[in-house]
Amino acid sequence: MTSGAASVAAILARATSDGDDRLIQAEEPIAGLQLRCGGDLPGTIAIPALLETVRKARRYGLRLARAITAQDGTEAVTAWIEVEPDDDGEGCAIVLRHWQAAPLPAEDLAAAALDRAETDRELAEITALLDAEQRLLTVEGDSYDTDPALAAMRGGVGRHWTEFVTIDGGQHHQPMHWRLLDGSRLSIPGSVRHWRATLLPQVQPGSEPTGFELCLVADEPAPSPRPPVAPERAAALAPLVGREIAPVLRQPIARIIANAETIRTRLAGPLTEEYSAYAADIAAAGQHLLALIDDLADLEVVEAADFVTAPDPIDLGDVSRRAAGILGVRARERQITVVAPQPGETLHATGEFRRVLQILLNLVGNAIRYSPEGSQVWLRLENGDAPGDDEGPARIVVADQGPGLSAEAQARLFGKFERLGRSGDGGSGLGLYISRRLARAMGGDLTVESAPGQGARFILDLPR
Amino acid sequence: MIETLAPPLANDAIETVLRNELAQGDAMIGSITPILRHLLSSEDHSVFSDEIVARVRGSASDLSRQLLVEVAQDRGSEPGREPEPAALDALTHELIAAPAVLAHLHSCALEWQLTQRLHARLSLDPVLSPLLQALIASSDAPTAGLAMNLLAAQSRFVQNQRRMRLPLGELPGDLLHTVLVAMRALAEDDAAAETAEAAVRGRYDEGSSRLGLMARLITGMGGGAVAALAVTHAGVALFVSALGLASGQDRDLAILSTNDGQLARLALALRAAGLKPAGVEEQFVALHPEIALPDGIEALGSDRAAAILSLAGAYTGA
Repeated sequence: MTSGAASVAAILARATSDGDDRLIQAEEPIAGLQLRCGGDLPGTIAIPALLETVRKARRYGLRLARAITAQDGTEAVTAWIEVEPDDDGEGCAIVLRHWQAAPLPAEDLAAAALDRAETDRELAEITALLDAEQRLLTVEGDSYDTDPALAAMRGGVGRHWTEFVTIDGGQHHQPMHWRLLDGSRLSIPGSVRHWRATLLPQVQPGSEPTGFELCLVADEPAPSPRPPVAPERAAALAPLVGREIAPVLRQPIARIIANAETIRTRLAGPLTEEYSAYAADIAAAGQHLLALIDDLADLEVVEAADFVTAPDPIDLGDVSRRAAGILGVRARERQITVVAPQPGETLHATGEFRRVLQILLNLVGNAIRYSPEGSQVWLRLENGDAPGDDEGPARIVVADQGPGLSAEAQARLFGKFERLGRSGDGGSGLGLYISRRLARAMGGDLTVESAPGQGARFILDLPR
Repeated sequence: MIETLAPPLANDAIETVLRNELAQGDAMIGSITPILRHLLSSEDHSVFSDEIVARVRGSASDLSRQLLVEVAQDRGSEPGREPEPAALDALTHELIAAPAVLAHLHSCALEWQLTQRLHARLSLDPVLSPLLQALIASSDAPTAGLAMNLLAAQSRFVQNQRRMRLPLGELPGDLLHTVLVAMRALAEDDAAAETAEAAVRGRYDEGSSRLGLMARLITGMGGGAVAALAVTHAGVALFVSALGLASGQDRDLAILSTNDGQLARLALALRAAGLKPAGVEEQFVALHPEIALPDGIEALGSDRAAAILSLAGAYTGA
């Protein structure tokens, strides 16, 4: 029983934090609590009371020792922690000496019911007022996928609300008591989501409800107004470049390019010719890198097993003219003329607009890059296999006057990372591979016709 | 203090000074009535009694004295030399101006007053309560060690209160920081003050202060901490610590709630701390023998009590 006994009291766990109050390292049970509180390890301290104590210890430069309480959703934890800041004030050593976890006290039932009612009122996408017999009086709502059901309900004022939805677990014939319907799961015609009904009675004390407030709450958020366009996000597991790396790299590379352009154009002051040329090289290399990242991200998307495109009705004439317009400047730099379909020429097809545009930009961009200066690139609309044929696929042909491709080169052309022996011209070897994948994903195809010295014709077929 | 303004000032400067003086004077006049009304109407004079006021002033002055001695020693003056009265007054004034510090000094004085009162009425030892005795006899060596440390700290507290002293190391961490910041503001880039401040911060260990030891012991008792919610068993110091921890209130507020004018807060805090209605009644018998609890308090759930408490305004504003 010495005065030093206090300092030998059992240490249950140690942890350290850094100058940004992030938990760098922690033993159990601190680590577990940090994670259950929604934090990461390493990551900013997610236990509010611990964070407050650590911040104070660091700011004051004082050794603090306190009882903290925390909740992790199921348990209330009381713990004794001692926090000692480093000499340089950059981080803290945390010691845990007591730890008690007790189940959270049960919520006050009446209060919880009130809370639930308030929450459901806030979250409900369809709300309705019902009379004492649960017949519809008014209906409000504004979700995309519930429009048909809403219209039906608005037209059915005076009818029982359950006629407009399907209650899970079988429909009872006679009107059910409201207490049985309260909280029931249901589905709504036109919506693929799962719904729950909440009935809030309007009660005069001592009598039966005079009416109800009906709240229909969905388990999932409302879908976007269109079917999924391109589920880049759905390919969640394997893809690394598209989701993780590309967004991170894009910004710094864009900065490199922008700054190199500033140097190249001598915006910040006079500079000798060589340095300006170096800056141009830096900018060009940066642009190449950016394009490569975009290609790799696209590659992941098109290779994902669940890749789908939206089957929208599109006008291939319009897409062609846009592609020609976008690449017009680059073409003029090489004195190449891009001949697009005349305004008013239309050809209807089914596909996703931005994907078709992406394919055309790739095809026309290749044509500009590999055709001789002063030549022409044509974008032609063709009506199926034979002119005048309305049955076959809709077709765009991109033709150039370039050197043409041998049969062997044509066979390899659509391979992944295929450069056909070229290098140093800014290509990734992914463009045609991605384009063909996109065309096939839309139910069409991308093919090539060419012979050495005869130019090349890239043919994009799309379903009607 | 107008006469001390020796150099003549320009007209608008004079006006500014006079306006400021006037505003301060008005603020003082505005606070006369409520204070006077409270002093005249309150049957309970303990909150503002001369003794309490003297203790608060004495403790604040003692804090200042420690800080100034610390600085003086860094300047090389011989130990034991008392600081300049003017500097002492200035720093004391600064400390009292900090609401959280003032509230803490006040509640320390109230705690001591209650300790003395229960000692007189119930023969409750100011230092060694039955609970502390049991903790010292604990078979768990760390707990027993902590309890021994607390025994020493509590007897120091009693001694210090009698002498109207409050060691810097006994302040909660937040308040020590406030106090040091106040000193820094007065010292104005004095190197010795900076060294002194660093020394005070380096020496500080919240866990070994009296308040820290009590909080840690109570936390370590887990569910058994409810034993500390009996003032006659735990003693005033451990009782208010446990009450603060269990009801989620600042300890200073828990002390204030033992006062005669704070019956509702005490009842709610005890209930929120999880004490059964019979237990609440027992504490009222010990603390306020003349008061009968209102009927129906047993129907008040402890979560409701906590909710009502949490909605009430905080005293320290911390």
